[in-house]
Amino acid sequence: MILTDCSVRAGAGFVIDLRMLYLVVPLVIGILLGYLLRERRKVDLGKVSLGVIIVLIFSLGFGIGSNGELLKSLPEVGLDAVVILVFALGFSVVLVWAARKLVRLE
Amino acid sequence: MIKHIVSALLLGIVAGYLNSNWGSIDAGFWVSDYMFNGALIALLFVMGLVFGLDKESVGKMRKTGLKILVIPLAVASGSIVGGAASALALGLDVVKTMAVTAGYGWYTLAGPLVGQLFGAHWGALGFVVNFLRELLTIVTISLTARIDKYVPIALGGATTMDTTLPVIVRYCGSDSLIAAFSSGFTLSIIAPFTIIAVAALR
Repeated sequence: MILTDCSVRAGAGFVIDLRMLYLVVPLVIGILLGYLLRERRKVDLGKVSLGVIIVLIFSLGFGIGSNGELLKSLPEVGLDAVVILVFALGFSVVLVWAARKLVRLE
Repeated sequence: MIKHIVSALLLGIVAGYLNSNWGSIDAGFWVSDYMFNGALIALLFVMGLVFGLDKESVGKMRKTGLKILVIPLAVASGSIVGGAASALALGLDVVKTMAVTAGYGWYTLAGPLVGQLFGAHWGALGFVVNFLRELLTIVTISLTARIDKYVPIALGGATTMDTTLPVIVRYCGSDSLIAAFSSGFTLSIIAPFTIIAVAALR
């Protein structure tokens, strides 16, 4: 979300943000390395490190707090936003549930 | 643990607010760009590693295959239909509200894009609705993860490939990694297209 200038034009005025790709690389390297290493030894890395999550969430909050435009519009549209969000989330959860039943995804 | 996550979020918001008003732009950029991306890349690597080391997870992913793509499609349809329903309930413009919810939680995209299409008021709604989506996914994770691993994935929308991914994996386990990442990835790719496509319905 920060590398907003990292984008390509995809015709007809559409622009694709390439930020996704720099996130795929470390994930794929991690999976491959884990896959290769797992016969070697039993490593229990436990779940994802809480410390790094805290750093990530802190810097996420930092970006939000620095976003004056966002903070200014919160009280103005807050109530409508909450109602819109509740509907969008409710329908999302129900449709995901229905879609999983449909394709028998466990 | 959710206490630590919410505290970190609140502390970050306060620090960011203070810094943007009285601090330095360089420091702000360093935290919200380098620190954010560094932590994200480190987390994605570690999550991948844990996933790869887990024999069951890889097996489950093979079994699931491309079926997993029904999740982002259901989230996309649910968000847009939900947006239309909320517009009818609130007496708002249906198409504009659908464009807002077609951001799937990616507020740095939906805010400016919807603002450009429909003006500042709708831009503000695009910002706030999608920002609250990300916030709510993080804050409610300990409850929603107990229902089912797909509930936080449905709530998170496009954010499940980055900001909410480590939180979801932490609560729902390593085998939620691929479902969450692929859903967020797909939704992030289609978000700009669906916002513009919905806006073109007018």
